Amino acid sequence: MTELTYLRAISDGLRTEMREDERVLLMGEDIGVYGGAFKVTDGFIEEFGPDRVMDTPLAEAGIVGTAVGAAVVGLRPVCEMQFADFVSCGFDQIVNVAGKMLYRQGLPVNITVRLPSGGGFSGGPFHSQNPEAWFMHAPGLKVVAPSTPEDAKGLIIASIRDPNPVIYMEHKNLYRHVKGEVPEGSYETPFSARVARPGSDLVVITYGAMVHTALEATEDIEGASIMVLDLRSLVPLDEAAILSAVHECSKVVIVDEANQTCAAGAQVSALIAERAFEDLDGPIVRVASPDIPIPFSPPLEAAVLPSVERVREACRDLLEY
Amino acid sequence: MTSSSTDTGTIVDVTMPQMGVSVAEGTIVEWRKQRGDWVEADETICEVSTDKIDTEIPSPASGRVVEILVEVGVTVQVGVTLARIATDARPGEPHSAEVDAPPAAPATPAAPAAAPSPPAAARPAPPAPPRPHPERSRRRYSPVVQRVADEHDVDLDLIEGTGREGRVTKQDVLAWVHARSASHSADGEPEPVLHIESPYRPGAGGSVTGPYVAPEGRPLSRMRQQIGEHMKRSQQTAATCTTWIEVDVSRIEVARKQLAITALPLIARCVIGALVDFPLINAWLEDDVHTVHEQVNLGIAVALGEDGLIVPVVRGAQDLSPEGLSRRIRDLARRARARQLSPDDVRGATFTITNPGQFGSMMATPVISQPQVAILDVEAIIKRPVVITDAFGDDAIAIRPMVILGLSWDHRALDGALAARFLANIKKRVESYEY
Repeated sequence: MTELTYLRAISDGLRTEMREDERVLLMGEDIGVYGGAFKVTDGFIEEFGPDRVMDTPLAEAGIVGTAVGAAVVGLRPVCEMQFADFVSCGFDQIVNVAGKMLYRQGLPVNITVRLPSGGGFSGGPFHSQNPEAWFMHAPGLKVVAPSTPEDAKGLIIASIRDPNPVIYMEHKNLYRHVKGEVPEGSYETPFSARVARPGSDLVVITYGAMVHTALEATEDIEGASIMVLDLRSLVPLDEAAILSAVHECSKVVIVDEANQTCAAGAQVSALIAERAFEDLDGPIVRVASPDIPIPFSPPLEAAVLPSVERVREACRDLLEY
Repeated sequence: MTSSSTDTGTIVDVTMPQMGVSVAEGTIVEWRKQRGDWVEADETICEVSTDKIDTEIPSPASGRVVEILVEVGVTVQVGVTLARIATDARPGEPHSAEVDAPPAAPATPAAPAAAPSPPAAARPAPPAPPRPHPERSRRRYSPVVQRVADEHDVDLDLIEGTGREGRVTKQDVLAWVHARSASHSADGEPEPVLHIESPYRPGAGGSVTGPYVAPEGRPLSRMRQQIGEHMKRSQQTAATCTTWIEVDVSRIEVARKQLAITALPLIARCVIGALVDFPLINAWLEDDVHTVHEQVNLGIAVALGEDGLIVPVVRGAQDLSPEGLSRRIRDLARRARARQLSPDDVRGATFTITNPGQFGSMMATPVISQPQVAILDVEAIIKRPVVITDAFGDDAIAIRPMVILGLSWDHRALDGALAARFLANIKKRVESYEY
């Protein structure tokens, strides 16, 4: 075990898997000589060479399209979108080409697309988004979103090994703010949920950076026993873990940093309404960003993103219901 | 046909309702309203009996009973008109239920304006017992609270809520259930037994002083008459024989404690398995027509105190686990005692189990419920010394919980060898029960 930041844990996972499997290569904008906009691949080009750490043009469709072709002939490319917001330029290659290749032609597309996502640092409307739900809606893709350094490493390795196209959501606000013990060597984190904190009066269901917001918000609400369920994987969604948590707690708060409409939490909410109706002891409560672009202005951004206070208030209100 | 004060009224027929899918006819037991009486919509107008189930028939409309067409004791088909109600009848003579009826026209002279009580107080009292907190019956409950209440048979109106504006939370209902079970176990109040064959209690009576007065005879209750008629007909119809087998229920006793249920559903589960192996016994014999059933509809005899007994049916019992059987049997027994069974609940049994052993009785010769071909009697589980043979073939005497199962079977439908093989099959299942 070593203590690593979330960012270093992703680097560690990529490096470990590249050392173990020479089919793994990286593609992205400024990931080679410059080491990536956030320095995730700092030093990689020195160790693995420019053939496996490829600087690409500013063309997301080209990055993903090239990766799909490479995967079809047996390689395991990992694409970096410099910001998750830019993935829309590669959307067709992911959703229509990669996601449906197995269905149409029987060819697995073993690619991983890394999406540095999320706000909280005044990045504004083009550098702060959480577009994971776009991909949850498209069949043929998996979507994961680790919240801890340990899971960040285990899930990047599991994503590279998974034969499906995997969208790997890495939250920029966790990069350097979150540190944790990370096992050495190679390991996979399963595509399933994790109980971040057990509890029985109420469950907060969330993923990614909001796991930390939820843990802080519910640390002590008049001594109530509050579970925090970290989904980790959005596709596949760990339905059994969600239903079991609702059965246990009967009161549910779902937190998304993404814009509220059709966010991942909307699917969780629908699942609970359909399958856990008789376990509910109150309305399903959602906390998310309103359906507006993320503002540059720090006070406005703070007002838009789900805060510790908003999550705490939502929990307190539901506990009293 | 119409009362004097009634104009050419709209007449609504009261018909014999369809009370269950298999019920074709019913017998009038009692008219609660007589000709000329005022009746409110949904107020009970008469009581109808089908088999052993009595059902209250609600009035389809408010109005005056102008005609009663079927007398007490007469059996008629579903759909037959029983009575007629004039719905625009107006009070001719004052009737307690009519005080709050809105006046039809300002000119109505009979409006009893002098009635001092508010209208609501003049309504006939509802048949249900008064609720302790009537204002609570308008409360709404969350799905989990309702589910827990259903599972534990809780009247939610009794619970103080601690949620917002007095809402009953899941924690409230769970705490209430917990407190109730704690007080129940403190009382040591046992579940009522399912079937008491003999209501005789020794010690009652004692010395009688004074001149002997011959007690007056009273007619049997209708339920007793029906049981008697049915049992007599069975004895006249079937060639009844009884075969017994002794069974070691050690494994059932362990499973029973693990599952926190009674032995009956576990033994019933074994019997159902045997019935699937011996479909000829899961059958009906009507004259010379032998109908073998694939589905096991298991009749379970339930005592109704001194009134008699009733045999509700667990349908599709072959698909139920012991826990599922336990739940269904408890539900049926509870509804039977509350007189809430529907006619369908007591029809279509393909085999019956009777379990009168709670008082220690050891053997019986039950009477077959027609047109079934057999009935199983489960007697008291009693610890007895028995000879057991261990894995090395050595014999030893051990103390084991034993029960005697008695099968009354119809010699017209089967022979003793089949009955014995059937019992042996049950014995094997019980003694090798996997828990």
